[in-house]
Amino acid sequence: MPPQRFDQARPFATLGAVIVVWLILPAAVKTFSRATFFEFTAPIATSASYVRDLQEYWSLRAHSNSDLVEAGRDLARVNASFAVSAQHNGELEAEVTRLEGLLHLPALPGYRLESARVAERDLGSSWWQRFVIRKGRNFGLTEGAPVIFTGGVVGRIKEVHAYTAVVELISSPGIRLAATVDGDSRPVSYEGGDNPTFGRPRGSVEFLPLDIFAQASQPRRLVTSGLGGVFPAGLLIGQLVKIEQSSDGLFNTGIVQLDPRLSDLTEVTVLEPAPAEAAPPP
Amino acid sequence: MRAGLITFLTTVLLWALVAQVNHYLGGAHVYFFVGGLLIAFGALALPLMAGMGVSLAIGGVCDANAFVPFGTHTLLFASAHAVIFHLRDRLPHDDLISRVVIALFANLALFLALSFILIDRAPAPAPAWIRLFADLACSQLFLALIAPWFFSLQQRALALGRPVPAWR
Repeated sequence: MPPQRFDQARPFATLGAVIVVWLILPAAVKTFSRATFFEFTAPIATSASYVRDLQEYWSLRAHSNSDLVEAGRDLARVNASFAVSAQHNGELEAEVTRLEGLLHLPALPGYRLESARVAERDLGSSWWQRFVIRKGRNFGLTEGAPVIFTGGVVGRIKEVHAYTAVVELISSPGIRLAATVDGDSRPVSYEGGDNPTFGRPRGSVEFLPLDIFAQASQPRRLVTSGLGGVFPAGLLIGQLVKIEQSSDGLFNTGIVQLDPRLSDLTEVTVLEPAPAEAAPPP
Repeated sequence: MRAGLITFLTTVLLWALVAQVNHYLGGAHVYFFVGGLLIAFGALALPLMAGMGVSLAIGGVCDANAFVPFGTHTLLFASAHAVIFHLRDRLPHDDLISRVVIALFANLALFLALSFILIDRAPAPAPAWIRLFADLACSQLFLALIAPWFFSLQQRALALGRPVPAWR
């Protein structure tokens, strides 16, 4: 009975038609569809984030006046300390500019710091690790911009949308950075990806020179190398806690322990490259 | 059309709630995946085209919110939908327990398929699989807990959204 046979195959015929349509669909349509679906769901994550902020606000309102006075006093101390640091930083920047002028060196790349709240953390098993932040094209963010926090590198911006942006974390599988071991100038390759359940996020490092040693009791800091043009040099990636010889024997490989706060962040800073200033006349 | 739209909206609600749960579980490195539950009701209770539309749309939502090539979730969900729809007349799909069991099997298949597609990203597959199996176990448990509520929600939403007869 052909009609009944076709009726049984109808779901698979429909699936086949869907696959064929998908294969012949132009890439522009797929890109547009992806952006549309993202923007359709973006207000959900953003509004949930604002609700969390409101909850935090009301929980802070429950604190007593003496708690607030105490917090204000602590904050005043921190502000005083930062004011001294800012003054020192200004002096150092002036010195760098003076030396650049004397030696006719090109200016170091500058960055505009853009703080952003984390709207959603999506640490999807061993598949991906991403944050959605509450700033996007409306604040001039661009794809590939580095994202940092007080503990070092968070990741880089992978997608920029109208009011949000998606950050790929350094714990995400497949992310690669050029790094150096602190105190050594030879570049190594960092790769994220190992995030054990209830454990600290970890990454791995390849092409380590054979004369570099580290262990759990004597970890070495792994920092960005500044190569590749995305991350400025010297930002902390993690602690190199274990080193093993690679299979070819030419280099070592290592395990990098990342900051445990990375998975719980609520605020990050985007380093947006500042436009190059015109060189001063000689 | 109306049934498909209502089912899609309830499915988006589930997706948003699970995203919030995953947001809070991020620090513990536990992740819940409920792809099987997202498609189960559409495949078991709706006509083919309406259900397939819901599966494709929610697949698009998942794709747009993940680091995967656009279409990965969409085509996996569509495939799972086609299989469940093909089998639904031979399965006792009207009672709650059967629906939950079907959703669990669909979730298992989708999770493993997605893992096999994305495993080559991991620098060391062995530890990645340990994490994946831990997440799979948690996801199945979570799905079994919330599936009765979600199926009831969808059933109730469909009943509320049913057009009122003209003679009333």
